[in-house]
Amino acid sequence: MKLKEFWKRYFEHPYGVAGFVIFAVLLFMAIFAPLISMGKPNEMSGDILSPPSLKYPFGTDHLGRSVYSRIVYGTRVSLSVGFVAAGLSALIGIFIGAFSGYFGGMVDEVMSKIIDSFLMIPVFFLILIIVAIFGSNLFYIMLVIGLTTWPRNARIMRAQTLSLKERAFVKVAKSLGEGDLRILMTHIIPNGMYPVVANSALQMGGAILAEAALSFLGLGDPNITSWGKMINEARTYMAFAWWTIVFPGIFIILAVVAFSFIADGLQYALYPKLKEVEESG
Amino acid sequence: MIFLVMSLNFFIIHAAPGDPVTIMTGLENPSKEIIETLKKKYGLDKPLVVQYIKYFSNLLKGNLGYSYVYDQPTWHLIRERIFPTLVLTLTGSVVAFILGIYLAIWVSHLRQRFGETIVSTVNYILYATPSFWLALILILIFSSKLKILPTSGMYDLRASYHGFRKFLDLLRHLILPAGTLALIQLPIFYRVTRTSIIQSEKEEYVTTLTAIGVSKEKLFKKYVLKNAILPTVTIFGITLGFSITGAVLVEIVFAWPGMGRLMFDAIFRRDYQLLLGIYFLMAVLISIAMIITDILIAILDPRIRIT
Amino acid sequence: MDEVLVIENLTVVYTKNGKRIKAVDRVDLKVNQGDMIGIVGESGSGKSTLAHAVMGLLPSNGFIAEGKIRLLGYEITRLNDDEMRKIRWKEFSMVFQKSMNALSPVHKIGEQMKEAVIVHEPEIGETEVESRMKKVLDMVNLPHRVLKSYPHELSGGMMQRVMIALALINNPKFVIFDEATTALDVVTQGQILDEIKNLVERLSLTGMVITHDIGVVAEICNKIAVMYAGRIVEEGPKEKILYDPLHPYTKALISSHPELAEGGGRMRGIPGNLPDLSKEIKGCVFAERCPHAEKICFDDRPGFVKISGRKVACFKIKEVEE
Repeated sequence: MKLKEFWKRYFEHPYGVAGFVIFAVLLFMAIFAPLISMGKPNEMSGDILSPPSLKYPFGTDHLGRSVYSRIVYGTRVSLSVGFVAAGLSALIGIFIGAFSGYFGGMVDEVMSKIIDSFLMIPVFFLILIIVAIFGSNLFYIMLVIGLTTWPRNARIMRAQTLSLKERAFVKVAKSLGEGDLRILMTHIIPNGMYPVVANSALQMGGAILAEAALSFLGLGDPNITSWGKMINEARTYMAFAWWTIVFPGIFIILAVVAFSFIADGLQYALYPKLKEVEESG
Repeated sequence: MIFLVMSLNFFIIHAAPGDPVTIMTGLENPSKEIIETLKKKYGLDKPLVVQYIKYFSNLLKGNLGYSYVYDQPTWHLIRERIFPTLVLTLTGSVVAFILGIYLAIWVSHLRQRFGETIVSTVNYILYATPSFWLALILILIFSSKLKILPTSGMYDLRASYHGFRKFLDLLRHLILPAGTLALIQLPIFYRVTRTSIIQSEKEEYVTTLTAIGVSKEKLFKKYVLKNAILPTVTIFGITLGFSITGAVLVEIVFAWPGMGRLMFDAIFRRDYQLLLGIYFLMAVLISIAMIITDILIAILDPRIRIT
Repeated sequence: MDEVLVIENLTVVYTKNGKRIKAVDRVDLKVNQGDMIGIVGESGSGKSTLAHAVMGLLPSNGFIAEGKIRLLGYEITRLNDDEMRKIRWKEFSMVFQKSMNALSPVHKIGEQMKEAVIVHEPEIGETEVESRMKKVLDMVNLPHRVLKSYPHELSGGMMQRVMIALALINNPKFVIFDEATTALDVVTQGQILDEIKNLVERLSLTGMVITHDIGVVAEICNKIAVMYAGRIVEEGPKEKILYDPLHPYTKALISSHPELAEGGGRMRGIPGNLPDLSKEIKGCVFAERCPHAEKICFDDRPGFVKISGRKVACFKIKEVEE
């Protein structure tokens, strides 16, 4: 896959472009948070529950904290959760899927059953239970999400492996005496991982939603500012202070939509054949 | 497969720190005697393996275990919650299913591409919306500001309606929570149906039927639609299982007396038995949903009938 | 002499990715009563497009840029979709290639065949339709239970027969067979060809047979037109074309066919590819692949030369004949 060609195609897709732009903005917000947040997220002031104004672009919450600052800093949390959780999920999924598909046999059978079982159960509940029981440290949460969502990636990777396994260049490598591990690492995984990458974009969105839900339920990390937590805190006051609840939600939506768009753009860029319809003469 | 899931659950829950006895007694340091007695009473003193086996044999007998916290058999606790959850989930899913299909059909008949882009974008947004947030926003708009719908609960507890009035009251309370669920699920059904329609319209039988004279309208309504709906029904079955569990968040926001709330409380009180019971039931319900879907598909698609 | 179908100077264009592709390039063709003309050509030669244009079944990105089509008195080129829908399948029809989804997989076959009848005769009674369907199934040797079956329950050969039956249901005078045997295995192909030949005789059908397999036209046609890259390169009676081909392309086609190739069957493929149909081709459309090509072949488009009962589009014909 040529990189330049890939990017060119990616930017042909309007949704992909939009997603990328939104993501870039969010990334910017996360990285340069201290510069643009106009104050600290935990700094309480006397202006309790005041509506959006010049001083407080998104208003203040019940402790006088600037909603805008909290959202800016919250971007860091959301993006890290997305990356770590989805990254972990992809990593585990790719390796397990590739191994399982490549070596086949009993290992593959057992693995497939496990993967299928996982895909049938509502994963969120599992996450819920585990986090509730074991603790709600942010890192934990990211870990748990990653550890419960890898099966989908594994299944994708496995399917890719199964088809790549039969391709000529793999067979050639084998006959040249290349070791299995080497074949996996240099041929199969680099060629087959792209659909997993596209799926990972979606999983980032999912991780953000999961973390938000956990925080909303009170199971999130108590020490950090997360958008979901903000919604939870805003619940009591939302009737008089709509800004405390509307803005965090909007940003969650923005982030997840961005990742959905990116996933679509990736899909389009990776599989040009899907778009073309041949007319025969 | 349920077996696997339940086993997984069992071990996770039992691996957790904090044991029920301590919580039950509510004391910081219960005396040794009290612990011993309680443990014996609930069989917690036997080794884990024995507990495991005993649990499954109980399950098979239909005994879902006993909740230590509530001091009642779990089944009693769960059963009165099943109906509300089912009502909510089914309503939400069915509405989403119907709306999704109608939306897809409507878009298919539009002349310009612009309408489709708008609908598509709205769908992306809905898909990305956290259910609990949407629930809160709807409450904000319809209950707080406009004051036309109730904020929570399933029935008006103060009045005691009967018969038809009770039914109407239920509906009134159902609108927002079911609406939330429906909006959250709408994108999936729309996407699948729309893609399916596009696919079906490219199929060869469209050319054949057009050639022999079938009108565009009839062709779409009778032939394309029936073909296109199949994937949607499949998805309906799959998501039905998940929406039962996804309804949890919505139930909590609306204080809907369903299984979701129960589960949430059980987690916090470390009521393992109750948790396992709920989870088991959910797994069963999901399996039933899948079986029903399979049957439905077999009815609609002649290619899948078992010969 | 009854002219059933007259095609005059027909040009059909597709738009794809902003490019205009000339699939049919100024084609003239006449089909008389009783003729069964075979249109032969490789993939992309425009033969299928030609057939679809005659039937008014061009896809949404295709249109008739130039020319006229007159079929059984109808000015096909002047009719819109709705008008076409009303007359199509009454006096003329098409046998589509059997495929997985040639008919809706979730509806019974009888249900779909019925449509062909009730659209054109709305007043017709249930029993009449039923008997017509049965009659037409008999013609293709299919059991009546087919009406109650679903497409996936039939074999390839049966499905193709259903398509033939469907085409005959309203007693058409003119039938186009579009690659009607292509997707079948050799044995079934032979059977179906025989049956088609029978039907054509029995029902005195006039029509066109579209195929890439010149062996097929040898069986059931009396005239052959050879198409290449949207143009007709040679046309004439079957025997002349098959046994004394003049155009270099026709010759190559025949010698690449396992059975028709002469003397010990020395098969030769035709090297090269179809030209890019989105570009205007000045000269002879076959020039690039032609072993005898000269400068003039690239500069001017050859007109038709009438030789011994047929038309050939080639500059070099007088020479080659020697």
